[in-house]
Amino acid sequence: MAWLARLGTPVRGFLEFLGDQAHLVVRTLLAGLALRLNQLEVVGAQTRLQIRFTGLDALWLVTGTALLLGAVTLIQAFTQLSGLGAESYIGVLMVLIILRELGPLLTAVLVIGRSSTAIAAELGSMQLNDEVDALAAHGVNPYQYLLVPRWAGVLVSLFVLVVFFDTTALAGGFLVARLKYGISFGYFMDSVRQSLSNRDFLATLVKVALFSGAITFHAAHFGLRIRRSQTEIPQAVTRTVVTALLAVFLLDGLVAALLYS
Amino acid sequence: MLRIHDLALDAPDGGPLLSGLRLHVPAGGNLLLEGPSGCGKSRLLKVIAGTERPRSGTVAIGGEAIWPGRGAFTLAGRVRVGLAFARGGLLANLSLHDNVALPLRFQGVPAGQVEHRVGEALDSFGLAAMAGLRPHAVSDGVRRFANLARVLALAPSLVLLDEPLGGLEPRDGAMVLALLQHWAADPGCTLVLAMDGTHSLVLPEVRRFQLAASSHAQEPL
Repeated sequence: MAWLARLGTPVRGFLEFLGDQAHLVVRTLLAGLALRLNQLEVVGAQTRLQIRFTGLDALWLVTGTALLLGAVTLIQAFTQLSGLGAESYIGVLMVLIILRELGPLLTAVLVIGRSSTAIAAELGSMQLNDEVDALAAHGVNPYQYLLVPRWAGVLVSLFVLVVFFDTTALAGGFLVARLKYGISFGYFMDSVRQSLSNRDFLATLVKVALFSGAITFHAAHFGLRIRRSQTEIPQAVTRTVVTALLAVFLLDGLVAALLYS
Repeated sequence: MLRIHDLALDAPDGGPLLSGLRLHVPAGGNLLLEGPSGCGKSRLLKVIAGTERPRSGTVAIGGEAIWPGRGAFTLAGRVRVGLAFARGGLLANLSLHDNVALPLRFQGVPAGQVEHRVGEALDSFGLAAMAGLRPHAVSDGVRRFANLARVLALAPSLVLLDEPLGGLEPRDGAMVLALLQHWAADPGCTLVLAMDGTHSLVLPEVRRFQLAASSHAQEPL
């Protein structure tokens, strides 16, 4: 029976975690729908701050990563394809590797590294400083003031960053294709365009929606559980990164299985 | 205004902190919760404010049960509550002005009125010149004043104050005491204070209630 008890504890913990995630998502959605017009200015200001931090401040990081990834992917793919005499499939591979998979996934990983950690640490610090209690006591709904703007900010930022990542990675790929292999812009883009489908756009939108939720609510879960000491903050940040990464990879696999299998 | 019945609170280690607590404060009444550090005064204030769930028991404000229930969300602005913490409670990313203004803006008070009420509240503590500073850039005493200014600007019908005189200079203490006397004399305001008993407090018609750590507390009649 002891082994059953040992097995039961993490299972119960995991189910509690899932329940808390569902609770946070539902409460935040309902709180967002219940926002009054006169509260939009306050919540909008918080959302703009989140977009600036998660989106604008991450543009350089995303640009550099995407350019390098696009260039490296093209070199690797082109070397293999030219050996087989299948250079015309370069667009297919760029779409498969970058637009379908690595664009949304790597952008989410970068946002987890920068913003999910910051949200968890900030919410944890606010809990310790009684800021969340002060908001609730004074009639400021913490779901509306803290979680709605963070989710909206991460959602908008992630979408813009993914579009930016994909575009920049393709630009990086084209740059190498042009300079190293003399491929023209028209040939490159035709190859990419023929490989793209509406399903790719749908998959990107679904991934952005799911990833933004995972990033925000994992951070909120671990940040808002902090109650006693500053030493809990780094632990919460580490847990946020690990579980958010796991969730994003799982969701990515799930979307691929549902939309492409 | 405030009715507590058979309330039980757990200590952070999981052991019993308070049990069987019964209290009733009529509208306009004043209550002073006294007890040594660690006896649960601050947590009791949070329970009354609806931000901390008790282990068991009922808490009703203005006739509405907040525990068991949804805590502060139950009130949803119907009963204005002002809570000033002994330390903390101010949002670190907002200026003192915006900290005081946020609850008013969120309740939909017109912008002109918000500015007037915030200006008046900050002025009454001499904070007008520091209104643009963030909490980390000012002293503990100023943060304490900003907490009280936020409560003052809200004009709440239930005021909850945690150690309002603790750690203040005599001159600042006199200023806070004058404000406490104003709230205590206001028939539209119910005042609940939590203090450790090291400061002598003279307020009109204040009822004292002694809390002891791990005690079985009952309302003295």
